[in-house]
Amino acid sequence: MAVARTYAVALVGVRGQLVEVEADVMQGIPGLVLTGLPDAALNEARDRVRSAVNNSGQVWPGRKITLALSPAWLPKRGSSFDLALAAAVLAASGALPTDALERRVLIGELGLDGQVRAVKGVLPAVLAAAEAGRDRVVVPSLNAAEASLVPGIAVEPVSSLRGLVALLTGAEPPDEPLVERPACPPEEPLKDLLDVAGQVGGRTAVEISAAGGHHLMLVGPPGSGKTMLAERLPGILPALTRAAALEVTAVHSVAGLLPAGSPLVTRPPFQDPHHTSTAASIVGGGSHIAAPGAASLAHHGVLFLDEAPEFKGTVLDALRQPLESGRLAIRRVGGTAVYPARFTLALAANPCPCGKEEKACTCRPDARRRYLARLSGPLLDRIDMHVAVPQVTRAELLAENGVGETSAAVAERVLAARDRAAHRLAGTSWQVNGQIPGVELLRRWPLPRSATRTAERALDNGMLTARGYGRVVRLAWTLADLTGLDRPVEDTVNQALTYRLSDVLPAVAA
Amino acid sequence: MSGPDVQVDVHVGVPDEADTLARLELARLVEPGSWPVHQAVERHGAAAVRDRLRAGDPLPGISPALAEGARGRASAYGASGAIAERDRLDAVGGRLIVPGDAEWPTARLSWGPVCPQLAAPPLLLQVRGAGRLDETVERSVAIVGARAATGYGTYVTGTLSLQLADRGWTVLSGGAYGIDAAAHRAALDSGRAATVAVLACGVDVAYPRGNDRLLARIAEQGLIVSEHAPGASPTRVRFLVRNRLIAALGRGVVVVEAAARSGSLSTANRAADLDRHVMAVPGPVTSAQSTGCHVLIRGGAHLVSDAGEVIALVGAPGEGAMTEPRGEARVHDDLPIAVRSVLEAVPVRGGAGEATIARAAGVPVLLVQQSLPVLLVHGLVQRCDTGWRLTPLGAGRPAASPGRQ
Repeated sequence: MAVARTYAVALVGVRGQLVEVEADVMQGIPGLVLTGLPDAALNEARDRVRSAVNNSGQVWPGRKITLALSPAWLPKRGSSFDLALAAAVLAASGALPTDALERRVLIGELGLDGQVRAVKGVLPAVLAAAEAGRDRVVVPSLNAAEASLVPGIAVEPVSSLRGLVALLTGAEPPDEPLVERPACPPEEPLKDLLDVAGQVGGRTAVEISAAGGHHLMLVGPPGSGKTMLAERLPGILPALTRAAALEVTAVHSVAGLLPAGSPLVTRPPFQDPHHTSTAASIVGGGSHIAAPGAASLAHHGVLFLDEAPEFKGTVLDALRQPLESGRLAIRRVGGTAVYPARFTLALAANPCPCGKEEKACTCRPDARRRYLARLSGPLLDRIDMHVAVPQVTRAELLAENGVGETSAAVAERVLAARDRAAHRLAGTSWQVNGQIPGVELLRRWPLPRSATRTAERALDNGMLTARGYGRVVRLAWTLADLTGLDRPVEDTVNQALTYRLSDVLPAVAA
Repeated sequence: MSGPDVQVDVHVGVPDEADTLARLELARLVEPGSWPVHQAVERHGAAAVRDRLRAGDPLPGISPALAEGARGRASAYGASGAIAERDRLDAVGGRLIVPGDAEWPTARLSWGPVCPQLAAPPLLLQVRGAGRLDETVERSVAIVGARAATGYGTYVTGTLSLQLADRGWTVLSGGAYGIDAAAHRAALDSGRAATVAVLACGVDVAYPRGNDRLLARIAEQGLIVSEHAPGASPTRVRFLVRNRLIAALGRGVVVVEAAARSGSLSTANRAADLDRHVMAVPGPVTSAQSTGCHVLIRGGAHLVSDAGEVIALVGAPGEGAMTEPRGEARVHDDLPIAVRSVLEAVPVRGGAGEATIARAAGVPVLLVQQSLPVLLVHGLVQRCDTGWRLTPLGAGRPAASPGRQ
C-alpha cells in the first residue's frame, strides 16, 4: 500500500495555512502515530476518527498507521482536521481513490457515528484554500453558507463520513436526513438615536464620532444616557463594505461567534466587555495560540468600555497598540497570532467614584481628579472627543420636542460626510479624519487665522493644550464634512472646541 | 527705575577665580546669610575668611559653635572640593556669579542689617539659564503662595502671571508646588518674558521632585538661581533664608494664597524689610488658605486682583493705567451678536441643556453648540451637572476693578 495525501487548513490568528496530511499504512503491530505538533484536541482525533470510520461502513486497517501533518513545525490545533485524517487513512488502505483527494481541501470534525460537525474558523480556512490555488473544498453542511462567501472555490458540503466517501468515489449519496438549515435569527431591531431624549449634545457627538472615526469619551452622571449613546453608534456607521465584512466575519468565525443562519457580518459590530474583563479577553489571548478578544471582534465597529476608570490599567493600556496600528499581534508559545482591530473606541465614565449628582457628591476634589486620572495619558491622547453628558432635565425634554432625528437620517449625513472626506483624502493612506495626525492636517490644509481666533484664545488662557488644538482641527474638518463645507470656518472650529476644553477632563489637560 | 533699592557700601573687588572658589567653599562651610561671615568677607576678603575658618582661627563676631561647625565641615570637604563643585555645576550648564560680575544685580542685593530677621546678602549665586540675571530681574515681580493651593489660588496665579509675562514682566518664585508652580507655568506659557526660580537647594537639585520637568523648562527658558553649593539639599532654615532672596530680587512680592503660618508670609515680611512692595490677593474669608493674605492686607499690604494693579505699583508711573479694561462690558462687546444672544439665554443658576438654551434664545441648536464654547473660553459660562450656567463674570457680577470704566 502506498502513502496517501489529503489537505486541510491550520489557522494562526485569522491567517490560514494549507496543511498536508500524509497517511502510511504498513506492516507492524496495529496502532496509530500522529506527528506534526498536534494539540490536545487534535490528538484526541485518533479515537474519534477510528470510531467514525468503523461506524460508517468502512474498515479501519488493522496495521500500523502513521499520520503526519506538515509543515511539521507549524503548531496545529482543534478538531477541523478530522475529515482530512479519516480520508487519508481510507485512501492509504485503498478504500478511496487518491486522485480525488489531490484537488480538495477537507475541513470538518467527526462524531463517533460518522456525523460531520460544524467547526470554527471556516471562512479564513476556505480563504486560505482558495489562495493556495485549490478549487474544491469539503466543509460541514452547517458551515456551507459561511464557506460559500469565498469566491473562486467550489464548496462541497457533507454531513457524514458516508457522504464524503460517496462524493469521492462517485457513488450515490447516502440517504440522510437533510441537515436543518437553521433559520436566520430575526434581525435585532436597530437601536435608534431618536430614543436618547434630552441629549441633543450627546447625539451630535456620536454623529461626529461616526462621521470622522473619532474615538470618544463620555463623561457624565449615572443615568444621563452615556451607554444609550454609545450603543447607537454602530447604527449610524455606514454598513460594512464587502471587504470589511469578510474581515469582520473571519474574526467572528475564528471565535466561533457567527450565527449559523446569517454567516456574513454586514453591520459594524458592537462589543461592550464588562469592566472586570481581563486583558486577554479584550485584546485576545489563550495558552497556545491566542484567540481573538473583544477588541478584534469590534473590528470595523465600536468597542465600548462602560465605567472605563474601573477597568484595570493593564487592560486599558493594552488597547494602545490597536489604536495605533489597527491590529493586534499576540505572541504565545504556539506562534504569533495577528488579528485586525480597527475600531472606534467609546469610553464612558462618571465624573467621580461616588457617582452621585453634583450637589450630593461627597468626593474630595483629589478623589475626583484621581478617578479620571486612572485613564492613562497616552490612552486619552488618542481620544479625540471628551464629551460632557449632563443630566437630563424636564425642561430640556420639553424644549427638545421635535428636534430629534432618527438614526437613519443621521446615518445618511454620516455617509455623505465620509464620502466627502474620502474624496479629499484620495491618494493618502487615510480614510477618515480621525486617522490624520493634527500636524499633517494643519500642514496640508492650513486654516485661516480668522477661523481659529477663539481656539487660540483658549490656548492662551490654558483651557486648551497644544495637542488638544490638533484634535480640535481634526474635529472641525469632520464638522465641515458633515455640514458640506469645503473647509472649516470659525463656527465649525468653535463647535469642535467644546470637545477639548479642559473643563470636561481637567485631570487630563493638566 | 522706581525701585526703592538702597545702595549700601559693599566690598566689591575685581572678581577673580580664587575669590569665586573661596566664596563657593564658604557656601558649604557656613549657612549662607550669616551676617558675621558676610562682614568678615567684606573686611578681609573671602579667601582669608575661608582659610581662617579652615584653620579654626577665631574671627570677630563668629561664635565658637559656628566656627567649630565650619571647621568640621572643612575637614570633611577637602582642599579641592570647591573645584569639583564648580565642575559639577559646569556639567549642568550652570555658572557662578559674584559681586562685581557684570550680571550681578548689585542694587537689588545690597542691604545692611536693618532688622534681626533679615539675613545677609548672598556672597555668590549659582545661575542656570541663558539670560543675564541683572537684566532679567530688572522688571520683575515675585509671586509666592501656598503649596497646597486651591483651585481658586492656582487660577488667580495663572492669570496674574500670564498677564504680567505678556506685558514683559519677569515672574519670580520659589519653584515649589502649588502657587509657585502655577506662577512659573503661566509665565513659561506666555513666552513673552522670562521666569526665575529661586531655590533653597543647589541649582542642580530637582526639588521638589515632582517639579523636575517644570524646573528643566525654567532652566531652558528662564533662570534658576540659588546661593547654595551644587548638590545642597533644602532644609527648613534654607527656605527661610531663600525667601529673603526672592523678596530682594524683585520689585515687589505678591502673595496669592497663604495659610496663617505660611512661609510665604516670611517672604512678604522680608520684602517689607527690604522696602519692596508687598501685595496680597484676597480670597474667601472661609478659606484657611487665604488667612495669611488677609493678615497681610490688614497689616498694610496692597490688595491686588490683577496684573494691572500690580504694575501700577511696581511699574513706571502711568504704566499700570495702560491696563486693558477688563470685565463684562469689554468681553461682551467683542462677541458677535449671535453669541451674545445665546449668552442671554444661559441661566444664572440651575443649569440648562442645549435645547433649552436654543428655545429660550430663539435660535437653532447648532448655533448654541457653536456659541457655548466661545462663551466658555471667555469665562462667561461653565458646564454643570445639568448642562450650562453662567459664571459670576457672565452673570455680570465680575470682580471688576472699581473706579474703571
